[in-house]
Amino acid sequence: MEEAAVVFYAGPFAITSIVVTTWGIMLLLGVFCWLATRRLSLDPGPVQTMLEGIILLIEESIEAVSPGYAQQMLPFIGTLWIYIVIANLVGIVPELHAPTGNLSVTAGLAILVFLSVHWFGVRNEGIRYLKHYLSPSPILLPFHLISEVTRTVALAVRLFGNIMSLELVALLVLLVAGLLVPVPLLMLHIVEALVQAYIFGMLALIYVAGAMQSQQNEKGDSL
Amino acid sequence: MNFDWTTFILEIINFLVLVWILKHFLYQPILEIIGKRRAGIEKTLADAQQIKVEADKLKQQHEKFLAEWEREKEEAEARLMAELAAMRENKLVELNAQINEEAERHKVLDERAKSEFERRMEAQGIAQGLSFTTKLLSRLASPELEANLYVLLLEDLHALSKENKHVITEATAVPELQIKIQSAFPLDEKKQAELTHHLSDITGRQLPIEFQVNPALLAGFQIMIGPWMLHANLRDELKFFSGSLQHATAGS
Repeated sequence: MEEAAVVFYAGPFAITSIVVTTWGIMLLLGVFCWLATRRLSLDPGPVQTMLEGIILLIEESIEAVSPGYAQQMLPFIGTLWIYIVIANLVGIVPELHAPTGNLSVTAGLAILVFLSVHWFGVRNEGIRYLKHYLSPSPILLPFHLISEVTRTVALAVRLFGNIMSLELVALLVLLVAGLLVPVPLLMLHIVEALVQAYIFGMLALIYVAGAMQSQQNEKGDSL
Repeated sequence: MNFDWTTFILEIINFLVLVWILKHFLYQPILEIIGKRRAGIEKTLADAQQIKVEADKLKQQHEKFLAEWEREKEEAEARLMAELAAMRENKLVELNAQINEEAERHKVLDERAKSEFERRMEAQGIAQGLSFTTKLLSRLASPELEANLYVLLLEDLHALSKENKHVITEATAVPELQIKIQSAFPLDEKKQAELTHHLSDITGRQLPIEFQVNPALLAGFQIMIGPWMLHANLRDELKFFSGSLQHATAGS
């Protein structure tokens, strides 16, 4: 996999095509959402119906895993799903690369998930949230810490590996077999993009919900 | 697979900015409109529930009114039927009374018409019988019959009661009184003399007697002594007979 091309420099910082692609995605999403939601009505049109369906689907999924916290977790988990789906599908467009096929991007998302777990835990439970690292025994603290690191790395590498390998396989097949042969692989790319986005978002949701529920379980045990 | 810290940091910032963008331009507006719609639906449901409750209440009141109305209707119908029955009974009684009265009136009228008819028939029979008898006696009228009647006249004169003789005596007290004797056939002198003799015995004195022939008498005699009159002829007998028959018929 070749390195992302540097588009321009902002002082000492090299702005790569991946970052520019991400800005493009943000711009498109922002403009689309602004246009789609500026005239909402109680009698929705097709676009509003689609958006309401997507939002309600995400909210119900969060509610199913973490009842009562759907409103609180919707912006973060929903944005993960939406951004990763679009970022994965960008790879289908010629001359563009999926941002999620870059380890820096997936690592950044994984770090955000890692931080959000503790953010939501401390936000809801306060500093007592950190006590779950010492349960059921303080001896397990190193294992808890190793688990936090490994699952974060796994998140980043899983998404990066799958998307990067899809693009690489499609490129290799295109080079070896010809112009139209990778089309089935592109169809597989679409499915894989949706599945990987779902897996990443669902794992993030489970991590966050698990942190909240572990604290609640401790409360239940103490009662 | 190089790791670029600039891309890493910028992606974190980009994602957080994207969270803010989607939160303000997607999640909040969509959730607000969904919340408004849910509130509207809940309000509509609540209104519908309230309307249903009111409708049920109105329905119960309506059913209650209907039941009450049905009960009043049945009572009014029962009263009406009772009044109609009583009115019909009264009308039937009145009608029967009118029928009986009418029948009685018709019966009286029928009886009256019947009696009138019978009377007319009897009168007609009497008239026909009288006519027949008159015709028969007119054909039978003869001097021989008159001779027989003459014998009967003499017997009647002999058989006069004292009261009749007294009346005749008083009637002859009028001065210049003349006795008139009419006969259907001319009387011979012997019979005139015999009659004169008998009348003189009855009146007790000699009075002038005028003998006249009157064929209308058919046969027999008519003797007039002042206001007193003795009938011994077929015409007067037939009149007496007819009168007595009519009197008897009227009496029955």
